[in-house]
Parts: sequence; structure tokens; C-alpha cells
Amino acid sequence: MSEERLFSWHNRVVKRSVIALVALTIVSMLIGFIWLPPVHEDFTLEGLWAGICRAAGVPANWGSDNASQAGTSTSVVLEPAMARAGTNAEIGRGATLALNCTMCHGAQGMSRSDAPNLAGQYPEVVIKQLEDYRSGHRSSPIMEAIVNGLSDRDVRDLAAYYAYLPKARTAPTTYDETLPALIRVGDPLRNIAPCISCHGGVDQKLGAPWLEGMPKRYLVTQLKAFIAGTRHNDPGAQMRNMARAMTDAEIDEVATFYARKASNGEPGRAAP
Amino acid sequence: MFVARRLVLAHFWVAFVAFLGAIFLGEWQMFMRSPLSAWINNPEHYYRSVTAHGTVMAYVLPTLVAMGFGYAISELALKRPLIGLRWAWTGFWLVIVGTAMAAITVALGKASVLYTFYPPMIASPFYYLGVVLVVVGSWIWVALMSINLRAWRKENPGATVPLAMYGNLAGAYLWAWTSVGAAVEVLVLILPASLGLTDTINAGLARVFFSWTLHAIVYFWLMPAYIAFYSIVPRAIGGRLYSDTMGRVAFALFLVFSMPIGIHHLFADPQVGAGFKFVHAAMTAMVSVPTLLTVFTIVASVEIAGRLRGGKGMLGWIKALPWDNPMMLAVTFAFIMLGFGGAGGIINMSYQLNETVHNTQWVTGHFHLIFAGAIVIMYFMIAYDLWPQLMRCGSMPAGLMRTQLWLWFVGMMVLTMPWHWVGILGMPRRMAYYDYSHPELQAQAWTVTASTLGGLLLVISAVLFVYILARARRTHEAPVPYTFSEPIHMPARTPVALNTFAVWVTMMIALTLVNYGWPIVQLASLEQASVPVIPIGGR
Ligand code: HEC
Ligand code: HEC
Ligand SMILES: [Cu+2]
Repeated sequence: MSEERLFSWHNRVVKRSVIALVALTIVSMLIGFIWLPPVHEDFTLEGLWAGICRAAGVPANWGSDNASQAGTSTSVVLEPAMARAGTNAEIGRGATLALNCTMCHGAQGMSRSDAPNLAGQYPEVVIKQLEDYRSGHRSSPIMEAIVNGLSDRDVRDLAAYYAYLPKARTAPTTYDETLPALIRVGDPLRNIAPCISCHGGVDQKLGAPWLEGMPKRYLVTQLKAFIAGTRHNDPGAQMRNMARAMTDAEIDEVATFYARKASNGEPGRAAP
Repeated sequence: MFVARRLVLAHFWVAFVAFLGAIFLGEWQMFMRSPLSAWINNPEHYYRSVTAHGTVMAYVLPTLVAMGFGYAISELALKRPLIGLRWAWTGFWLVIVGTAMAAITVALGKASVLYTFYPPMIASPFYYLGVVLVVVGSWIWVALMSINLRAWRKENPGATVPLAMYGNLAGAYLWAWTSVGAAVEVLVLILPASLGLTDTINAGLARVFFSWTLHAIVYFWLMPAYIAFYSIVPRAIGGRLYSDTMGRVAFALFLVFSMPIGIHHLFADPQVGAGFKFVHAAMTAMVSVPTLLTVFTIVASVEIAGRLRGGKGMLGWIKALPWDNPMMLAVTFAFIMLGFGGAGGIINMSYQLNETVHNTQWVTGHFHLIFAGAIVIMYFMIAYDLWPQLMRCGSMPAGLMRTQLWLWFVGMMVLTMPWHWVGILGMPRRMAYYDYSHPELQAQAWTVTASTLGGLLLVISAVLFVYILARARRTHEAPVPYTFSEPIHMPARTPVALNTFAVWVTMMIALTLVNYGWPIVQLASLEQASVPVIPIGGR
């Protein structure tokens, strides 16, 4: 065996294998990068090089057209760090600032009007929604006016404060057959995911608000606003797409469900 | 065997007990999804189960079987005691600790990421650390296999490496290189995000790294089965191996082609260029070559057995085959499932056809047929074949074994054929819930019931399998010396390229650089390619 050298051009097995592999690679590259791209009907690029770049996955104009920017639902990027609990100092400052909000959102964040509860709301939700009001991605004449007076730090402190307050309904939805089907399992054929897979119960996704105990009118209004497109700050149109598939009766059913309070016969549990 | 007997037994026992647990989870998933049961109401439990089932079946079982079988081959084929027994036990315990860590994290609901590491979904760091320990344990095995072969070569200069050991090392080197993709993904991208050091992750890049591992890991699972085809089957059915060289060529081709083709898992991924998708698709077609070579060689070897037993004529040899021999049944079943699964695989890898089956139940059907069917049935045979050596238990109960194999084969077909069918109709995979009252789904409900029944057969078969292994008792007779298949003609001289790995490993690495280099560089250098992570079970 010692007389036969491995890495040598005189080794027939090696020589043929290398040639075959190189040939196969070159041929498939030629087909994939040069021959196939211009064959596509929608091929509009000009020149060989543009075709090769496209086949290599290089974006022709990455982020250079601002048109797409205008259509985005929000400018807030949700990051897990936004969900951390606030320090005592932040919560204290937030509590003071929140005195301007009690008129509508209620003392301790429990709304008595149709304005949403803020008590126990996740911090990243409050931050995102306030940022969206500020940037015009979510519109509400009242809230837009209010948020203009708030600094970034104010927003964070308010979020910390409200997250610290006990929730309107502390018992999370548990899964049993009595829950409305949309909440439990959604409707896959209409592309409606189960509400409890984002809004808590099964999973609570970053940025999905705590809905339990919200005023029913508020919930209905928001869902209808998602349908009409007057509210369009949900990233990836995740709520709009689902809401559009829902009937009025279903909207009423889920809103009634989420609006129920712990006091309605069900014992509340301490927040986790 | 010399010193590795208990080591191999430990690997096999853990592998098969974990397998038994995971198969119950699989059947539970099938049942929950079927019209036979009311929906459990918490899809998270379903995904938790999928994660556990997949992690055990895809990572723990094949890794332990490949390791255990590898150690056994090293002693039985090289006829010398295993070097590095201590290290081997260290590797084993790393795998065990890693598995336990991942399993506990999954059970707590902190890692329901479906065992494929697709960010931005991120599980608890303990899950990933557990998987890393499993992989590190298996790297020890890779090193030991290489060291043992080297020691043997020193003692036998110029001799031809036994085919079983050649395949064993091919599998080890393949695994060493292919696991690098997921290792980089986990260590560089996922763990920092999982530990909370970063809030965003380059999900596209992570997927590309995962695909680096994803295809060839399948071939790592498959290697023990192919080694068994070449080096156990012909002997067990009383035949000769048709060609020793063909086996080496097949293993070498697997080494070169099974790795740099994983982008066929990303056909629907907009971030990867179509040119690379085409190249990977074309090269995926190449991995069917070693499989076809193997099928040809093994069928020819089986024919030799038939003729040695007096079979005559075109097809007469088939009747003469030892059909009451469990190995004969197993290899037949394996090839039937490999045939269907392989045909399905060719559809998956065709860039265009893939669109119709992408992410449907078809895919689940495909890999169950190939892996859980063709490959795992050979894992059973490997265990049965080695058991008399390992347990010194005399011969194994052929009748029970046949029943077990039949159940596995029928169960797997009944499980996967409906999956293929509904996959074509568009049923998505990884769905926890189906509304069978919906008029458009009602017609498909029976298929899910059928699969559930197929799954039940598999559960019975798995229980029977473990029972057969467990009932083996030590006898006082010394075990019959273990042998591997004899080739019909042993070539006087094996070409040095087919007796070593350097050329094939070089080609594998070079082809990886060509096929993966640019997509990785490009995605890694894209600005604003990172997205916020989505921690699973975080709240
Ligand atoms: C005059 C009444 C009023 C006052 C004062 C007010 N809000 Fe609001 N707020 C509303 C109404 C009404 C809405 C719902 C608007 C909509 O439909 O978009 C709302 C919405 C919000 C939301 C979005 C909640 C969600 O679940 O999407 C946040 C966050 C919020 N307010 C925070 C505040 C804070 C913080 C203050 C005090 C600094 C404040 N609001 C003061 C009336 C008020
Ligand atoms: C895929 C995850 C997801 C699912 C499933 C989901 N939601 Fe949402 N939902 C969100 C997110 C995220 C928001 C916040 C959007 C934003 O950033 O403004 C939201 C907002 C809402 C709001 C507005 C709340 C407020 O305080 O502003 C309502 C009401 C709502 N969802 C109801 C539902 C109902 C009812 C269902 C079930 C039919 C459902 N959602 C299912 C993710 C989800
Ligand atoms: Cu693959």
C-alpha cells in the first residue's frame, strides 16, 4: 500500500473523483446561476451579473425605497428587555405621572369608562402603544394629545407603574370546553389562531396585551377598528387578519368572555 | 468482545428505554389529534410532547445506537480491545446528563421549540446546553473511533480496514463535520439570545446553519443501518456480500454528498438565493446514488444466499430464501420502506415539486418511513444480532422477533401512508388541532384515525422489542464468535483511497465551503437582518 500515494494525480480513483466532483459543481452552478434566472417570466433585471447576484440571494436594493417604510404598522421593535419589571424608583415616578391618567383609566388603572384598563398591563404593551400614538401609527385624538407631553423616560416609568399594579382579573383563563372555541382553538381553516396562544392562558407573546377584565365596549371597538383598518399598528397585521375573518356574533362572544370580571362568581387568584 | 461489553449495553439500554418512552408520546400526539379523542385544550402540551418525542427519537436514540454500535464494531471488527474505555464512559455520561437536562427543561414547558432550532423561537438555555452535552459526548466517540482505527493500522500496516469499521468511521467523520453547523448556531447565535445577552437574533443565518446539520444528521442516523446491510445481513441469511468495494464507494459518497446539500430544507426561505437552492437540489439527487448502489449490492447478496440454498431460475431464488429468518424479513421490510420513502424524498428535494408538499404531513410521513421505518427496523436487528454477544444469552426467540418486525412494518405503513395522502391534500404538519366537524376536513378524518391505529401497532411492537431484549438471560455456554459478512471475492488490494478517508473528508469540506460559504457570509454581513427573539415559555 505504501507505494500507492493518496494525494497524487497518479492515483486514478482520486483523480477521477476530483474531476467528477468539480465538473458536477460547475455544471450545476452554471445552470443555477446563469441559465435558470433569466428563464423566469418575471425576470426584469438586466445583464448577466445582475442575474447572478439575484441567484446568489443578494438583495438588489435593500431598504432603499422609502415607500415600504410608510406602510409599516409600527416603528417599535419589541425586545424582551422592554418586558423587565421596573425599579422602585421608576414605579414611584410612574405613579406620580399616572395621576394625569386616572380620569379615564381609573384609579389604580381600573377603568370605569370605556377606556382600557391599564392595571397589570405588560410594560412592553404600554410602551409600544404610547409610542404608536406618538408616531401616529395608532390614532386616538385624546391619547395623541396626552402622549405628546411625555418623554421617553416618562413612558417607561408609566409602563413600570402600571405593570406593577394588580390586574383587573387575576385568574388567568384556564382551558376547558366551556371557553368559546375561538379563544380555545381558534379556527385554523380561517387562519384564526387561538386567542390564548398569544394573549395568555397557553402562552403570552411579547406585545400581546392582557385582555381579561377589559371593558367590553373597548374590546369590540378595537376588534372592529382592526377590521376597518382604522387601527393598524399590529405588527405583521396579525390582529387585522384574524379580526377580518370574525363575524359580529363571534366578536361579541369573545369580547363578553374577556370582559368578565373575577367577581362574577369566579374566585380570583393571586397574580403569579 | 473484550472490554466494551458493558459500555455497549449501557448505550443500547438507555437508547431503547428512551425510545420506548418517546413512542408513547408519539402515539398520544396522534390520538389527541384524531377524531377518537376530545381535544386536550392546551396546544402547548401537544408541542411539548412533539419536542420531547423529536428530541429523543432524532438526537438521543440514533446517537446512542451509533455510538454503542461503533464501539462494538471497533472491538469485533478490529479484534482488539477498545482503547479509551474511560473516555468512552465519560462520553456516555455526558450524553445522559445532557439528555436529562434537556428532558427536564422540556417537561417544564420551557423548551417547546419542536426540536428543530428555528429562531426567533428561543427555549430555555438548559435545553440547548443539554443538547450541546449530547453532541460533545458524541464527539468523544468520534475521536475514539479514529484513535482505535489508527492503532489498528499501526499494528496491521497496509491491511484493508474491515468494511464495518470503514462505514463506522465514515459515519463518525460525517457526524463530526455536520454537527458543526448546529453547534455554531447554538453557541454563537442561540445561546447568547437564550441567556438574555442579546435581544435579537439573525434568524435567517441561524436557519442556514441548522440546515447544514439537518440533512446530514439523517445520514448519521442511517449509517448504522447501512453498515448492518453490508456487514451483517449477508452473513445472517447465509449468503455472501456481493461486493466489498461497492460498500466502500457508498460510504465514501455519503461522506462527500450528504453534507453540503441541506439548503433543500430552505426552499421556501426568501433569504437564500435561488441559485444555491438549485445547486443543493442537484447535489441532493446525488445522494440517491449510494443508496441505489447499496440496494443493488444487498439484493445481489441476498440472491447469492438464495442460490446457495438451492434456488434456481430467474426468480426461484426468492422462494429459496430463509423467510423464517428475522433478518430476512427485516431487510425486506427496510427496502420496501426505503423505496417508498426514497421516492417521496426525491419529490421533496425537487425544487419545484417541494412547493406542493412543503410543511405538510407529507414530510412527516416521509421521514417516518425512512428513519423510523427503514433505519430503526435495522437498529432492532443490530440489537438482536449483538445481544447474544452482549448478554451471553444464547440464541434469540425468532418467532417473537418476527411478530415484532411484522408489527413494526405494518404499523409504519398504516401510520405513514395516510400522512402522505393528506399531505398532498394540504394538511399542514405540526398542527395541534383539527376541527373535524368542518365540512372540508370531515372527509380526511378517517386518515387520522388510521394513522392512530398504525401508531398503536408501533407501540405494541416497541414494547415487544424491549421485552425481547429484557427477557434475555445469561447462559453458561460461551457465545458463538461474532463474524461479519464475507465478500464473495475479496479484492487482492483495496485502492488506498477506499481504505482511508482523507480524500473524501477533504472533498466534503471543500464542497461545504463552496455550497455554504457564500450564503453564510452574505447573511452574516446583512445589516438589519436580526429580529427580536421570541422566548418560549417565558411568561
Ligand atoms: C381623557 C381620557 C384619557 C386620559 C386622560 C388618558 N387616556 Fe389613555 N386612553 C384613553 C382612551 C379612550 C383610550 C383608547 C383609545 C383608542 O381607541 O385607541 C386610551 C388608550 C390608552 C392606551 C392603550 C391601551 C391598550 O390596551 O391598547 C394606553 C397605554 C394609555 N391609554 C395610556 C395612558 C396614560 C399613560 C395616560 C396618562 C398619562 C392616559 N392614557 C391618559 C383615554 C385616556
Ligand atoms: C398571533 C398572536 C395573537 C393572537 C392569536 C390573537 N392576538 Fe389579539 N393581539 C395580538 C397583539 C400582538 C396585539 C397588540 C397589537 C399592537 O401591537 O397594537 C393584539 C391586540 C388585540 C386587541 C387590542 C387590545 C388592546 O388593548 O389594544 C384585542 C381586543 C385582541 N387582540 C383580541 C384578540 C382576540 C379576541 C383574539 C382571538 C380571536 C386574539 N386577539 C388573538 C396578538 C394576537
Ligand atoms: Cu434533507
